[in-house]
Amino acid sequence: MQTTVKRTPLNSWHRSQGANMANFGGYDMPLWYSSVKDEHLAVLNGAGVFDTSHMAGVTVAGSGAADLLQYCFTNDLDACMGRSKKPLSPGRCVYGAFLDENGQTIDDAIVFYVAADSYMVVVNAGMGGAVADHLRHNLGGRDATVTDLSDQLGKMDIQGPAAAKILGGVLADPKAVFTGIPYFSFKGHFDPASPLADAVRLDDGTPILLSRTGYTGEFGFEIFLAPDKIQRLWERLLEAGRSYDIKPCGLAARDSLRAGAVLPLSHQDIGHWPFINHPWPFALPFTADQTGFTKDFIGRTALEKQTDFSFTHAFVGKDLRKISAGENSRVIDADGQTIGTVLTCATDMGIGLHDGDIFSVASPDKPEGFKAKGLCCGFVKVDRKLSVGQNVDIADNRRKITVSIVDDVRPHRTARKPMADML
Amino acid sequence: MKAISELNLPEDVRYTDDHEWSKKNGDVVRMGVSDYAQDQLGDIVFVELPEVGSSFDKGDEFGTVESVKAVSELYMPIGGEVTAINEALADEPELVNSDPYNGGWMIEIKASDPAELEAMKSKADYLEMLKG
Repeated sequence: MQTTVKRTPLNSWHRSQGANMANFGGYDMPLWYSSVKDEHLAVLNGAGVFDTSHMAGVTVAGSGAADLLQYCFTNDLDACMGRSKKPLSPGRCVYGAFLDENGQTIDDAIVFYVAADSYMVVVNAGMGGAVADHLRHNLGGRDATVTDLSDQLGKMDIQGPAAAKILGGVLADPKAVFTGIPYFSFKGHFDPASPLADAVRLDDGTPILLSRTGYTGEFGFEIFLAPDKIQRLWERLLEAGRSYDIKPCGLAARDSLRAGAVLPLSHQDIGHWPFINHPWPFALPFTADQTGFTKDFIGRTALEKQTDFSFTHAFVGKDLRKISAGENSRVIDADGQTIGTVLTCATDMGIGLHDGDIFSVASPDKPEGFKAKGLCCGFVKVDRKLSVGQNVDIADNRRKITVSIVDDVRPHRTARKPMADML
Repeated sequence: MKAISELNLPEDVRYTDDHEWSKKNGDVVRMGVSDYAQDQLGDIVFVELPEVGSSFDKGDEFGTVESVKAVSELYMPIGGEVTAINEALADEPELVNSDPYNGGWMIEIKASDPAELEAMKSKADYLEMLKG
Protein backbone atom coordinates (compact mmCIF):
# COMPACT_ATOMS: atom_id res chain seq x y z
CA MET A 1 0.00 0.00 0.00
CA GLN A 2 1.23 3.46 -0.89
CA THR A 3 1.00 5.49 2.27
CA THR A 4 3.33 8.39 1.58
CA VAL A 5 3.63 10.42 -1.58
CA LYS A 6 7.12 10.13 -3.03
CA ARG A 7 9.18 12.98 -4.40
CA THR A 8 11.54 13.02 -7.35
CA PRO A 9 14.93 14.75 -7.05
CA LEU A 10 13.43 17.76 -8.89
CA ASN A 11 10.49 18.14 -6.49
CA SER A 12 11.76 21.24 -4.72
CA TRP A 13 12.61 22.83 -8.07
CA HIS A 14 9.02 22.31 -9.27
CA ARG A 15 7.63 23.74 -6.08
CA SER A 16 9.98 26.72 -6.15
CA GLN A 17 8.62 27.51 -9.64
CA GLY A 18 5.05 27.52 -8.37
CA ALA A 19 4.06 24.45 -10.38
CA ASN A 20 0.56 23.11 -9.96
CA MET A 21 1.31 19.76 -8.31
CA ALA A 22 -0.66 16.54 -8.00
CA ASN A 23 -0.20 12.91 -7.01
CA PHE A 24 0.52 10.77 -10.06
CA GLY A 25 1.34 7.10 -9.57
CA GLY A 26 2.31 7.78 -5.96
CA TYR A 27 4.60 10.71 -6.83
CA ASP A 28 4.13 14.42 -6.21
CA MET A 29 4.46 15.64 -9.79
CA PRO A 30 3.99 18.93 -11.66
CA LEU A 31 0.80 19.15 -13.75
CA TRP A 32 1.87 22.44 -15.28
CA TYR A 33 4.00 25.45 -14.42
CA SER A 34 2.19 28.48 -15.81
CA SER A 35 0.40 27.41 -18.99
CA VAL A 36 -0.35 23.91 -20.26
CA LYS A 37 -1.02 25.30 -23.71
CA ASP A 38 2.35 27.07 -23.91
CA GLU A 39 4.11 23.94 -22.67
CA HIS A 40 2.36 21.75 -25.27
CA LEU A 41 3.19 24.23 -28.05
CA ALA A 42 6.81 24.57 -26.90
CA VAL A 43 7.34 20.87 -27.61
CA LEU A 44 5.84 21.23 -31.11
CA ASN A 45 7.75 24.41 -31.96
CA GLY A 46 11.01 24.22 -29.97
CA ALA A 47 11.56 22.02 -26.97
CA GLY A 48 10.31 21.09 -23.54
CA VAL A 49 11.83 19.22 -20.61
CA PHE A 50 9.88 16.76 -18.49
CA ASP A 51 10.74 15.34 -15.07
CA THR A 52 10.22 11.60 -15.53
CA SER A 53 12.11 10.33 -12.49
CA HIS A 54 8.84 8.81 -11.28
CA MET A 55 9.29 6.09 -13.92
CA ALA A 56 11.14 2.98 -12.86
CA GLY A 57 14.04 1.04 -14.32
CA VAL A 58 14.41 -2.70 -13.81
CA THR A 59 17.60 -4.44 -14.90
CA VAL A 60 17.62 -8.06 -16.07
CA ALA A 61 21.07 -9.66 -16.31
CA GLY A 62 22.46 -13.14 -16.87
CA SER A 63 22.64 -15.81 -19.51
CA GLY A 64 18.87 -16.39 -19.17
CA ALA A 65 17.89 -12.70 -19.33
CA ALA A 66 16.98 -12.68 -23.01
CA ASP A 67 14.90 -15.84 -22.69
CA LEU A 68 13.11 -14.54 -19.59
CA LEU A 69 12.16 -11.31 -21.35
CA GLN A 70 11.19 -13.19 -24.46
CA TYR A 71 8.76 -15.21 -22.33
CA CYS A 72 7.36 -12.28 -20.31
CA PHE A 73 7.38 -9.37 -22.79
CA THR A 74 4.91 -9.13 -25.67
CA ASN A 75 7.27 -8.01 -28.40
CA ASP A 76 9.49 -10.60 -30.06
CA LEU A 77 13.08 -9.64 -29.20
CA ASP A 78 14.24 -11.92 -32.00
CA ALA A 79 12.08 -10.17 -34.59
CA CYS A 80 11.10 -6.61 -33.73
CA MET A 81 13.38 -4.14 -35.50
CA GLY A 82 12.16 -2.36 -38.58
CA ARG A 83 10.03 -3.66 -41.43
CA SER A 84 12.25 -6.67 -41.95
CA LYS A 85 11.76 -7.65 -38.28
CA LYS A 86 15.40 -8.07 -37.34
CA PRO A 87 16.44 -9.21 -33.87
CA LEU A 88 16.95 -6.51 -31.25
CA SER A 89 20.65 -5.62 -31.16
CA PRO A 90 22.68 -3.99 -28.39
CA GLY A 91 22.00 -0.25 -28.29
CA ARG A 92 18.42 -0.67 -29.50
CA CYS A 93 15.19 -0.63 -27.53
CA VAL A 94 11.65 -1.74 -28.21
CA TYR A 95 8.13 -1.07 -26.92
CA GLY A 96 5.79 -3.75 -25.63
CA ALA A 97 3.91 -4.91 -22.55
CA PHE A 98 3.97 -7.41 -19.72
CA LEU A 99 0.78 -9.45 -19.57
CA ASP A 100 -0.67 -11.86 -17.06
CA GLU A 101 -2.00 -15.33 -17.93
CA ASN A 102 -5.33 -13.74 -18.89
CA GLY A 103 -3.67 -11.60 -21.53
CA GLN A 104 -4.33 -8.47 -19.47
CA THR A 105 -1.77 -5.73 -19.05
CA ILE A 106 0.42 -5.53 -15.96
CA ASP A 107 2.28 -2.58 -17.45
CA ASP A 108 3.74 -1.38 -20.72
CA ALA A 109 7.47 -0.89 -21.06
CA ILE A 110 10.47 -0.22 -23.23
CA VAL A 111 13.12 -2.94 -23.14
CA PHE A 112 16.67 -1.66 -23.65
CA TYR A 113 19.26 -4.16 -24.91
CA VAL A 114 22.30 -2.77 -23.07
CA ALA A 115 24.90 -5.45 -23.83
CA ALA A 116 25.14 -9.22 -24.08
CA ASP A 117 23.09 -10.74 -21.24
CA SER A 118 22.18 -7.28 -19.95
CA TYR A 119 18.84 -5.53 -20.37
CA MET A 120 17.03 -2.60 -18.78
CA VAL A 121 13.26 -2.44 -18.68
CA VAL A 122 11.68 0.99 -18.18
CA VAL A 123 8.17 0.91 -16.76
CA ASN A 124 5.62 3.36 -15.38
CA ALA A 125 5.50 5.21 -12.06
CA GLY A 126 5.31 2.88 -9.11
CA MET A 127 5.46 -0.24 -11.30
CA GLY A 128 9.13 -1.23 -10.81
CA GLY A 129 8.31 -3.55 -7.92
CA ALA A 130 5.37 -5.25 -9.61
CA VAL A 131 7.21 -5.85 -12.88
CA ALA A 132 10.36 -7.04 -11.09
CA ASP A 133 8.23 -9.47 -9.03
CA HIS A 134 6.50 -10.70 -12.16
CA LEU A 135 9.85 -11.38 -13.85
CA ARG A 136 11.26 -13.16 -10.78
CA HIS A 137 8.08 -15.20 -10.41
CA ASN A 138 8.49 -16.48 -13.96
CA LEU A 139 12.24 -17.16 -13.79
CA GLY A 140 11.75 -20.91 -14.05
CA GLY A 141 15.23 -22.39 -14.15
CA ARG A 142 16.69 -19.44 -16.06
CA ASP A 143 19.89 -17.78 -14.94
CA ALA A 144 18.83 -14.15 -14.59
CA THR A 145 19.08 -11.51 -11.90
CA VAL A 146 16.25 -8.98 -11.73
CA THR A 147 17.00 -5.69 -9.95
CA ASP A 148 14.41 -3.01 -9.31
CA LEU A 149 16.03 0.43 -9.61
CA SER A 150 12.91 2.34 -8.51
CA ASP A 151 13.89 5.72 -7.02
CA GLN A 152 17.57 5.07 -7.67
CA LEU A 153 17.67 6.66 -11.12
CA GLY A 154 17.26 10.21 -12.26
CA LYS A 155 15.32 10.53 -15.50
CA MET A 156 14.30 13.52 -17.59
CA ASP A 157 13.12 13.88 -21.17
CA ILE A 158 13.92 16.64 -23.64
CA GLN A 159 11.38 16.63 -26.45
CA GLY A 160 10.80 18.84 -29.46
CA PRO A 161 12.45 19.68 -32.79
CA ALA A 162 15.21 21.72 -31.09
CA ALA A 163 16.08 18.97 -28.58
CA ALA A 164 19.38 17.91 -30.17
CA LYS A 165 20.50 21.49 -30.81
CA ILE A 166 19.98 22.28 -27.15
CA LEU A 167 21.32 19.02 -25.73
CA GLY A 168 24.41 19.31 -27.93
CA GLY A 169 25.39 22.39 -25.95
CA VAL A 170 25.90 20.42 -22.74
CA LEU A 171 27.47 17.24 -24.16
CA ALA A 172 31.22 16.61 -24.11
CA ASP A 173 31.22 15.32 -27.71
CA PRO A 174 27.87 16.05 -29.39
CA LYS A 175 29.11 15.14 -32.87
CA ALA A 176 30.01 11.60 -31.85
CA VAL A 177 26.87 11.18 -29.76
CA PHE A 178 24.54 12.36 -32.54
CA THR A 179 26.08 10.08 -35.14
CA GLY A 180 24.23 6.80 -35.53
CA ILE A 181 21.46 7.31 -33.01
CA PRO A 182 18.23 6.47 -34.88
CA TYR A 183 14.72 6.37 -33.39
CA PHE A 184 14.49 3.73 -30.63
CA SER A 185 18.24 3.45 -30.10
CA PHE A 186 20.39 4.60 -27.18
CA LYS A 187 23.98 5.17 -26.13
CA GLY A 188 25.97 5.48 -22.93
CA HIS A 189 25.17 4.48 -19.39
CA PHE A 190 24.30 6.21 -16.12
CA ASP A 191 26.61 3.90 -14.12
CA PRO A 192 30.16 5.32 -14.14
CA ALA A 193 31.47 1.75 -13.78
CA SER A 194 29.79 0.59 -17.00
CA PRO A 195 32.08 0.13 -20.03
CA LEU A 196 29.39 2.05 -21.97
CA ALA A 197 29.66 5.14 -19.75
CA ASP A 198 32.25 6.83 -21.98
CA ALA A 199 29.90 6.82 -24.97
CA VAL A 200 27.88 9.78 -23.69
CA ARG A 201 29.17 12.26 -21.15
CA LEU A 202 28.01 15.72 -20.28
CA ASP A 203 30.71 18.36 -20.58
CA ASP A 204 31.23 18.14 -16.82
CA GLY A 205 32.04 14.43 -17.16
CA THR A 206 28.71 13.05 -15.90
CA PRO A 207 27.89 9.81 -17.72
CA ILE A 208 24.32 9.48 -19.03
CA LEU A 209 22.25 6.93 -20.86
CA LEU A 210 20.75 8.81 -23.79
CA SER A 211 17.81 7.26 -25.61
CA ARG A 212 16.14 8.47 -28.82
CA THR A 213 12.67 7.83 -27.40
CA GLY A 214 9.93 9.75 -25.63
CA TYR A 215 6.23 10.05 -24.92
CA THR A 216 5.20 13.05 -26.98
CA GLY A 217 5.39 11.87 -30.59
CA GLU A 218 8.01 14.53 -31.19
CA PHE A 219 11.75 14.32 -31.81
CA GLY A 220 13.78 14.07 -28.64
CA PHE A 221 15.48 12.05 -25.99
CA GLU A 222 15.01 10.35 -22.67
CA ILE A 223 17.99 10.81 -20.36
CA PHE A 224 18.93 8.53 -17.46
CA LEU A 225 21.52 9.66 -14.96
CA ALA A 226 22.44 9.65 -11.28
CA PRO A 227 19.70 11.33 -9.21
CA ASP A 228 22.13 13.85 -7.69
CA LYS A 229 23.11 15.07 -11.18
CA ILE A 230 19.66 15.72 -12.57
CA GLN A 231 18.94 19.19 -11.25
CA ARG A 232 22.15 20.62 -12.70
CA LEU A 233 21.37 19.08 -16.10
CA TRP A 234 17.76 20.28 -15.93
CA GLU A 235 18.82 23.85 -15.20
CA ARG A 236 21.58 23.81 -17.78
CA LEU A 237 19.20 22.60 -20.50
CA LEU A 238 16.71 25.32 -19.62
CA GLU A 239 19.53 27.85 -19.91
CA ALA A 240 20.94 26.34 -23.12
CA GLY A 241 17.46 26.22 -24.66
CA ARG A 242 16.46 29.78 -23.93
CA SER A 243 16.80 30.95 -27.53
CA TYR A 244 14.55 28.06 -28.62
CA ASP A 245 11.90 29.02 -26.05
CA ILE A 246 12.39 25.78 -24.15
CA LYS A 247 9.89 25.24 -21.35
CA PRO A 248 9.68 22.97 -18.34
CA CYS A 249 6.57 20.89 -18.99
CA GLY A 250 4.25 19.12 -16.60
CA LEU A 251 2.16 15.98 -16.84
CA ALA A 252 -0.82 17.79 -18.38
CA ALA A 253 1.15 18.76 -21.49
CA ARG A 254 2.69 15.27 -21.54
CA ASP A 255 -0.84 13.84 -21.57
CA SER A 256 -2.17 16.07 -24.34
CA LEU A 257 0.96 15.54 -26.46
CA ARG A 258 0.82 11.76 -26.18
CA ALA A 259 -2.92 11.68 -26.86
CA GLY A 260 -2.36 13.60 -30.11
CA ALA A 261 0.45 11.15 -30.94
CA VAL A 262 -1.91 8.16 -30.37
CA LEU A 263 0.23 6.74 -27.55
CA PRO A 264 -1.48 4.81 -24.74
CA LEU A 265 -1.35 5.64 -21.05
CA SER A 266 -0.81 2.45 -19.08
CA HIS A 267 -3.62 1.60 -16.63
CA GLN A 268 -5.95 3.90 -18.56
CA ASP A 269 -5.85 2.98 -22.25
CA ILE A 270 -4.44 -0.48 -21.66
CA GLY A 271 -5.22 -2.39 -18.47
CA HIS A 272 -7.34 -5.14 -17.03
CA TRP A 273 -8.65 -6.37 -20.34
CA PRO A 274 -6.98 -8.34 -23.14
CA PHE A 275 -4.06 -6.52 -24.77
CA ILE A 276 -5.23 -6.91 -28.36
CA ASN A 277 -7.43 -5.17 -30.95
CA HIS A 278 -5.88 -1.81 -30.13
CA PRO A 279 -3.97 0.82 -32.14
CA TRP A 280 -0.61 -0.69 -31.07
CA PRO A 281 -0.35 -4.02 -32.94
CA PHE A 282 3.42 -3.44 -33.27
CA ALA A 283 3.66 -4.25 -29.55
CA LEU A 284 2.51 -7.83 -30.22
CA PRO A 285 4.58 -10.54 -31.96
CA PHE A 286 2.25 -10.93 -34.93
CA THR A 287 3.24 -13.07 -37.88
CA ALA A 288 3.50 -11.22 -41.18
CA ASP A 289 -0.08 -12.15 -42.10
CA GLN A 290 -1.31 -10.98 -38.66
CA THR A 291 -3.05 -14.31 -38.03
CA GLY A 292 -0.78 -15.75 -35.35
CA PHE A 293 2.15 -15.06 -33.07
CA THR A 294 5.81 -15.68 -33.75
CA LYS A 295 6.75 -16.76 -30.22
CA ASP A 296 5.38 -18.07 -26.96
CA PHE A 297 4.77 -15.55 -24.17
CA ILE A 298 2.69 -15.15 -21.04
CA GLY A 299 -0.83 -14.20 -22.05
CA ARG A 300 -0.58 -15.74 -25.52
CA THR A 301 -3.05 -18.55 -24.90
CA ALA A 302 -5.65 -16.16 -23.53
CA LEU A 303 -5.26 -13.78 -26.47
CA GLU A 304 -5.62 -16.66 -28.91
CA LYS A 305 -8.56 -18.34 -27.22
CA GLN A 306 -10.67 -15.46 -26.04
CA THR A 307 -13.46 -14.40 -28.33
CA ASP A 308 -15.31 -11.65 -26.47
CA PHE A 309 -12.69 -9.06 -27.20
CA SER A 310 -13.26 -5.37 -26.86
CA PHE A 311 -11.81 -2.98 -29.45
CA THR A 312 -9.81 0.13 -28.66
CA HIS A 313 -9.84 2.92 -31.23
CA ALA A 314 -8.36 6.39 -31.45
CA PHE A 315 -10.77 9.25 -32.10
CA VAL A 316 -10.66 12.93 -32.86
CA GLY A 317 -13.40 15.50 -32.22
CA LYS A 318 -14.69 18.41 -34.29
CA ASP A 319 -13.42 21.12 -31.95
CA LEU A 320 -11.56 21.34 -28.68
CA ARG A 321 -14.50 20.47 -26.41
CA LYS A 322 -13.97 17.31 -24.45
CA ILE A 323 -15.84 15.12 -22.00
CA SER A 324 -14.73 13.45 -18.79
CA ALA A 325 -13.36 10.00 -19.65
CA GLY A 326 -13.73 7.00 -17.38
CA GLU A 327 -16.38 4.64 -16.10
CA ASN A 328 -19.21 7.14 -16.30
CA SER A 329 -18.54 8.04 -19.91
CA ARG A 330 -20.37 6.44 -22.81
CA VAL A 331 -19.76 5.77 -26.48
CA ILE A 332 -22.99 5.86 -28.47
CA ASP A 333 -23.39 4.55 -32.01
CA ALA A 334 -25.63 5.89 -34.78
CA ASP A 335 -28.56 3.78 -33.51
CA GLY A 336 -28.35 5.34 -30.07
CA GLN A 337 -26.90 2.22 -28.52
CA THR A 338 -24.23 2.48 -25.83
CA ILE A 339 -21.31 0.43 -27.10
CA GLY A 340 -18.46 1.29 -24.74
CA THR A 341 -16.60 3.82 -22.66
CA VAL A 342 -14.06 6.59 -23.23
CA LEU A 343 -10.56 5.75 -21.95
CA THR A 344 -8.82 9.05 -22.67
CA CYS A 345 -10.23 12.39 -23.75
CA ALA A 346 -7.73 15.23 -23.98
CA THR A 347 -7.26 18.34 -26.10
CA ASP A 348 -4.29 18.64 -28.42
CA MET A 349 -3.94 22.43 -28.46
CA GLY A 350 -1.44 22.35 -31.32
CA ILE A 351 -3.84 21.17 -34.01
CA GLY A 352 -7.01 22.32 -35.70
CA LEU A 353 -9.34 21.61 -38.60
CA HIS A 354 -9.21 23.43 -41.91
CA ASP A 355 -11.62 22.33 -44.67
CA GLY A 356 -11.98 18.96 -43.01
CA ASP A 357 -8.24 18.26 -42.70
CA ILE A 358 -6.20 18.34 -39.51
CA PHE A 359 -3.17 20.61 -39.49
CA SER A 360 -0.62 21.20 -36.75
CA VAL A 361 1.15 24.42 -35.86
CA ALA A 362 4.24 22.55 -37.08
CA SER A 363 2.72 21.46 -40.42
CA PRO A 364 4.90 22.76 -43.26
CA ASP A 365 1.81 22.86 -45.52
CA LYS A 366 -0.52 24.59 -43.10
CA PRO A 367 -2.89 27.06 -44.77
CA GLU A 368 -2.03 30.74 -44.60
CA GLY A 369 -3.40 32.31 -41.44
CA PHE A 370 -4.06 28.89 -39.89
CA LYS A 371 -4.76 29.14 -36.18
CA ALA A 372 -4.70 25.92 -34.19
CA LYS A 373 -7.79 26.09 -32.03
CA GLY A 374 -7.25 22.63 -30.56
CA LEU A 375 -9.03 19.34 -31.11
CA CYS A 376 -10.26 16.85 -28.59
CA CYS A 377 -8.81 13.38 -29.05
CA GLY A 378 -8.24 10.14 -27.21
CA PHE A 379 -9.32 6.52 -27.11
CA VAL A 380 -12.61 4.63 -26.84
CA LYS A 381 -13.05 1.00 -25.85
CA VAL A 382 -16.08 -0.51 -27.54
CA ASP A 383 -17.73 -3.91 -27.92
CA ARG A 384 -17.39 -4.01 -31.70
CA LYS A 385 -14.87 -3.12 -34.37
CA LEU A 386 -15.31 0.38 -35.75
CA SER A 387 -13.86 1.63 -39.00
CA VAL A 388 -11.74 4.69 -39.67
CA GLY A 389 -13.97 7.61 -40.61
CA GLN A 390 -16.97 6.29 -38.71
CA ASN A 391 -18.65 8.81 -36.40
CA VAL A 392 -19.77 8.00 -32.87
CA ASP A 393 -20.97 10.17 -30.02
CA ILE A 394 -19.12 10.25 -26.73
CA ALA A 395 -20.86 11.53 -23.64
CA ASP A 396 -20.47 12.20 -19.95
CA ASN A 397 -23.13 13.46 -17.58
CA ARG A 398 -22.73 16.97 -18.94
CA ARG A 399 -22.39 16.87 -22.70
CA LYS A 400 -22.39 14.71 -25.76
CA ILE A 401 -20.03 15.33 -28.67
CA THR A 402 -19.57 13.68 -32.05
CA VAL A 403 -16.13 12.29 -32.80
CA SER A 404 -14.58 10.37 -35.70
CA ILE A 405 -12.66 7.13 -35.42
CA VAL A 406 -9.17 7.71 -36.81
CA ASP A 407 -5.86 5.92 -37.17
CA ASP A 408 -3.83 9.04 -36.45
CA VAL A 409 -4.36 12.46 -34.91
CA ARG A 410 -1.59 15.09 -34.91
CA PRO A 411 0.04 15.33 -38.35
CA HIS A 412 3.69 16.07 -39.08
CA ARG A 413 5.10 14.70 -35.87
CA THR A 414 8.89 14.76 -35.66
CA ALA A 415 9.77 11.69 -33.54
CA ARG A 416 11.02 9.64 -36.47
CA LYS A 417 12.84 12.41 -38.34
CA PRO A 418 16.40 11.58 -39.36
CA MET A 419 18.98 12.94 -36.94
CA ALA A 420 20.66 14.91 -39.71
CA ASP A 421 17.51 17.01 -40.19
CA MET A 422 17.44 18.01 -36.54
CA LEU A 423 20.97 19.34 -35.93
CA MET B 1 0.09 28.15 -8.72
CA LYS B 2 -0.36 31.52 -7.04
CA ALA B 3 0.15 31.85 -3.32
CA ILE B 4 -2.95 33.23 -1.60
CA SER B 5 -1.09 36.50 -1.00
CA GLU B 6 -0.53 36.83 -4.77
CA LEU B 7 -4.21 36.56 -5.69
CA ASN B 8 -5.95 39.51 -7.25
CA LEU B 9 -9.13 39.84 -5.17
CA PRO B 10 -10.79 43.21 -5.76
CA GLU B 11 -12.69 44.84 -2.88
CA ASP B 12 -15.59 45.92 -5.08
CA VAL B 13 -16.87 42.47 -6.10
CA ARG B 14 -18.65 39.80 -4.07
CA TYR B 15 -17.60 36.13 -4.07
CA THR B 16 -19.12 32.65 -3.73
CA ASP B 17 -17.77 29.47 -2.17
CA ASP B 18 -17.58 28.11 -5.74
CA HIS B 19 -15.21 30.95 -6.73
CA GLU B 20 -17.56 32.99 -8.90
CA TRP B 21 -17.74 36.74 -8.46
CA SER B 22 -20.57 39.23 -8.95
CA LYS B 23 -20.58 42.99 -9.20
CA LYS B 24 -23.33 45.53 -9.64
CA ASN B 25 -22.97 47.31 -12.96
CA GLY B 26 -25.71 49.92 -13.24
CA ASP B 27 -29.05 48.09 -13.45
CA VAL B 28 -27.47 44.70 -14.01
CA VAL B 29 -25.12 42.39 -12.17
CA ARG B 30 -22.01 41.17 -13.97
CA MET B 31 -20.36 37.87 -13.05
CA GLY B 32 -17.35 35.70 -13.75
CA VAL B 33 -14.83 33.50 -11.93
CA SER B 34 -12.23 34.64 -9.43
CA ASP B 35 -8.48 34.88 -9.89
CA TYR B 36 -8.19 31.85 -7.60
CA ALA B 37 -10.52 29.83 -9.87
CA GLN B 38 -8.70 30.71 -13.09
CA ASP B 39 -5.34 29.92 -11.48
CA GLN B 40 -6.58 26.51 -10.31
CA LEU B 41 -8.16 25.68 -13.67
CA GLY B 42 -5.08 26.52 -15.72
CA ASP B 43 -5.36 27.60 -19.36
CA ILE B 44 -8.99 28.20 -20.19
CA VAL B 45 -9.66 27.12 -23.75
CA PHE B 46 -13.44 27.31 -24.04
CA VAL B 47 -16.31 28.97 -22.21
CA GLU B 48 -19.87 27.77 -22.77
CA LEU B 49 -22.40 30.46 -21.86
CA PRO B 50 -26.22 30.52 -21.80
CA GLU B 51 -28.50 32.33 -24.24
CA VAL B 52 -29.48 35.89 -23.52
CA GLY B 53 -33.00 35.80 -22.07
CA SER B 54 -32.63 32.56 -20.15
CA SER B 55 -33.41 32.60 -16.44
CA PHE B 56 -31.70 30.84 -13.58
CA ASP B 57 -32.08 30.51 -9.84
CA LYS B 58 -29.22 31.03 -7.48
CA GLY B 59 -27.01 27.93 -7.54
CA ASP B 60 -28.15 26.77 -10.99
CA GLU B 61 -25.51 25.73 -13.50
CA PHE B 62 -25.37 28.42 -16.19
CA GLY B 63 -22.44 27.22 -18.25
CA THR B 64 -19.09 25.49 -18.30
CA VAL B 65 -15.53 26.62 -18.39
CA GLU B 66 -13.14 24.26 -20.07
CA SER B 67 -9.46 24.17 -19.26
CA VAL B 68 -6.88 21.89 -20.81
CA LYS B 69 -7.22 19.85 -17.64
CA ALA B 70 -10.98 19.53 -17.17
CA VAL B 71 -14.46 20.88 -17.77
CA SER B 72 -15.96 22.72 -14.78
CA GLU B 73 -19.48 23.92 -14.16
CA LEU B 74 -20.35 27.56 -13.58
CA TYR B 75 -22.99 28.22 -10.93
CA MET B 76 -25.22 31.27 -10.58
CA PRO B 77 -24.05 33.32 -7.59
CA ILE B 78 -27.52 34.91 -7.58
CA GLY B 79 -30.72 34.29 -9.52
CA GLY B 80 -31.95 36.33 -12.49
CA GLU B 81 -32.42 36.71 -16.22
CA VAL B 82 -29.41 36.85 -18.52
CA THR B 83 -29.26 40.21 -20.29
CA ALA B 84 -25.85 39.89 -21.94
CA ILE B 85 -22.99 37.45 -22.42
CA ASN B 86 -19.35 38.30 -23.07
CA GLU B 87 -19.10 37.53 -26.78
CA ALA B 88 -15.33 38.17 -26.73
CA LEU B 89 -14.77 34.91 -24.85
CA ALA B 90 -15.74 32.90 -27.94
CA ASP B 91 -12.48 33.90 -29.62
CA GLU B 92 -10.42 34.77 -26.57
CA PRO B 93 -11.31 32.45 -23.70
CA GLU B 94 -7.86 33.18 -22.28
CA LEU B 95 -9.23 36.56 -21.13
CA VAL B 96 -10.63 34.63 -18.17
CA ASN B 97 -7.04 33.82 -17.19
CA SER B 98 -5.46 37.14 -17.95
CA ASP B 99 -8.21 39.51 -16.79
CA PRO B 100 -10.82 37.61 -14.76
CA TYR B 101 -12.70 40.65 -13.43
CA ASN B 102 -12.77 42.88 -16.51
CA GLY B 103 -12.15 41.47 -19.98
CA GLY B 104 -12.93 37.97 -18.69
CA TRP B 105 -16.43 38.69 -17.35
CA MET B 106 -18.97 36.05 -18.41
CA ILE B 107 -22.61 37.13 -18.14
CA GLU B 108 -24.76 40.03 -17.02
CA ILE B 109 -28.12 39.40 -15.39
CA LYS B 110 -31.11 41.28 -14.13
CA ALA B 111 -31.15 40.11 -10.52
CA SER B 112 -34.43 38.66 -9.29
CA ASP B 113 -33.51 39.40 -5.67
CA PRO B 114 -30.83 42.07 -5.14
CA ALA B 115 -30.47 40.93 -1.52
CA GLU B 116 -28.75 37.79 -2.81
CA LEU B 117 -25.83 39.93 -3.96
CA GLU B 118 -25.41 41.36 -0.48
CA ALA B 119 -25.45 37.83 0.96
CA MET B 120 -22.37 36.87 -1.06
CA LYS B 121 -18.93 36.87 0.54
CA SER B 122 -16.88 40.03 0.90
CA LYS B 123 -13.21 39.95 -0.09
CA ALA B 124 -12.27 39.48 3.58
CA ASP B 125 -14.66 36.54 4.03
CA TYR B 126 -13.60 34.94 0.74
CA LEU B 127 -9.93 35.30 1.62
CA GLU B 128 -10.65 33.76 5.01
CA MET B 129 -12.28 30.78 3.28
CA LEU B 130 -9.33 30.33 0.89
CA LYS B 131 -6.93 30.34 3.82
CA GLY B 132 -9.03 27.49 5.23
